[in-house]
Amino acid sequence: MSTIDGPTPLPGAKASQAAADRQASGNIPGGSADAVRKSGWFGRWSEKWRAMPRQKQWLYLIVIVVIAYLLPVINPPILSTEPGNDFPLALFSMAVYALAAVGLNIVIGYAGLLDLGYIAFFAVGSYTAAMLTSPDSPFFKIPYLWTIPLAILVALCVGVILGIPTLRLRGDYLAIVTLGFGEIIRILATLIPAMKGQVGFQNVGRPPGMGPDGIPIFANSNGTPWYWLALTILIIVLFLAGNLERSRVGRSWIAIREDEDAAETMGVPTFKYKVWAFAMGAGVGGMAGALFAGQVGFVNNQKFDVVTSIMFVAAVVLGGTGNKVGAVLGGAVVAYIPLRFTAIAEYKYLIFGLALVVIMIYRSQGLLPARQRLLAYGHIAYAKVRRTAPIAPAPVTEKEA
Amino acid sequence: MTLLELNDVSVHYGRIQAIHNMSFTVEEGEIVSLIGANGAGKTTTMKTISGLLNPSHGTIKFMGEDITKMKAHIRVVQGISQAPEGRGIFPAMTVLENLDMGTFGRKDRNGVPEDLERVFTLFPRLKEREKQYGGTMSGGEQQMLAIGRALMSRPKLLLLDEPSMGLAPQFIRQIFKIITEINGQGTTVLLVEQNANQALARANRGFVLETGEITHSGTGKELLANPAIKEAYLGVG
Repeated sequence: MSTIDGPTPLPGAKASQAAADRQASGNIPGGSADAVRKSGWFGRWSEKWRAMPRQKQWLYLIVIVVIAYLLPVINPPILSTEPGNDFPLALFSMAVYALAAVGLNIVIGYAGLLDLGYIAFFAVGSYTAAMLTSPDSPFFKIPYLWTIPLAILVALCVGVILGIPTLRLRGDYLAIVTLGFGEIIRILATLIPAMKGQVGFQNVGRPPGMGPDGIPIFANSNGTPWYWLALTILIIVLFLAGNLERSRVGRSWIAIREDEDAAETMGVPTFKYKVWAFAMGAGVGGMAGALFAGQVGFVNNQKFDVVTSIMFVAAVVLGGTGNKVGAVLGGAVVAYIPLRFTAIAEYKYLIFGLALVVIMIYRSQGLLPARQRLLAYGHIAYAKVRRTAPIAPAPVTEKEA
Repeated sequence: MTLLELNDVSVHYGRIQAIHNMSFTVEEGEIVSLIGANGAGKTTTMKTISGLLNPSHGTIKFMGEDITKMKAHIRVVQGISQAPEGRGIFPAMTVLENLDMGTFGRKDRNGVPEDLERVFTLFPRLKEREKQYGGTMSGGEQQMLAIGRALMSRPKLLLLDEPSMGLAPQFIRQIFKIITEINGQGTTVLLVEQNANQALARANRGFVLETGEITHSGTGKELLANPAIKEAYLGVG
């Protein structure tokens, strides 16, 4: 964890005495440690958020969600990416990036496994959707919407298959191996005839429905319904990720991220949970890939390069490693900036590079730090350890305990 | 009753052999100290017992059961709990969250509040700081937290890897006093230390480790009186 939370004034003797008093008196909720971390504009915002009553939080959430759904209709002048890029399509692209970032955040943010080949799972999802719907594919065909759960499943399995041999490695070694995954999938797409390399698959399927003018509702050029679909999926995934991070599995991931050996000696089956994190992240990535394939309508081996993997990592780090809302923000920003500022789109890697350097110096936990999430868990731990009677465990999404 | 038994255990890091045919036992209710210089194999021995490392040769028995191949996270459930070297607490978790992680492998949730009280009685400082982040605490407090967290699984055997490392002398005395107290409550303690004086004074039995082999063994008092050990580890010649 970083000690850089923005400028902190040198504490005078009085201030440090006051701090010592506060520590000694043990004013428990939001002790001195939180006080240090409160600085920064987003930090203060999340403090406020935590202090809000539940109903008020819900109210705000509903307003935010409604605005998010209405964005392509309102097309707000300053935010809009037009005339350079179609705004609803840009929004869809942002939602897909956000979804991928949320998935990658499970791997990097929760479990602390640096995955630099996340595009592999995105690609697996895209190819699953394409090969089961496109007329160019020799396989049997299924309706497009069915390919979404199937893409999750296939990506999940690929995650497990890739995870089991590689998750024995740690840190940098793991990062290097995962870097290879993305390339392996891309090269496989070139080498395996059924995956049709650069020729690719055209006319990937779309959800059913025809507009009154005979044009499909989910036409490739019509971003709004695609955006709504992606946003809905994103919200569902966020809810599930929220439950997951508060569960026993989520706590284990955080423990693994903090200190793997210590977690293991606490009784956490670290290897199993690492594979789980990898597979969960892969599943979400596969889903994002399937959505992407459907909207674009064309999948070939050129779309899944290492750079996109790095952009996903940048999104997670930018947003705040370990915070799912941060990941959404990071993913959206990373997708939005080159579309909004088309003049500088060519320099996007330069800009993101600089942005990351600046963020790492001044706010190394990202825009939205993970603290609040852990604290939410802290309340549960507090209640649980404090109770004299056994209480029902929080809703657990895992299969085995 | 013999709680832990190492029989002819060897451990390798790749080609380098860190532990050579080590055999020793820990009886129930004892404090046993392993002392040795840097690189003698102390931490390797601890990690082998807690299951983080696998021996290349030999067997480890816990309560009569062969646990040589058992994974570390299952050994916790069996009753071996480790406070790792360098403390190994979770810095981004609060004290209470850290302690809660200690109960991860437990089946009897009902006993948790009782053990929490016990830990807070042993370390009143932790109670004062229960909502503070582990990473923001001082070294001594982190050490307390590591020991407290290890106790939360209500272990039969507590492994302490250099509890005195980097602590002020008065803190070291306090930690060792608490270790004796924990032992008095019925937990067997296996201790690894460079601070031979304190470790042997508090121990029922001790072993001296040199380059992966046990070179001396005896009761704590015997070892403290041994001139060779005095010279090598106690700095008195």
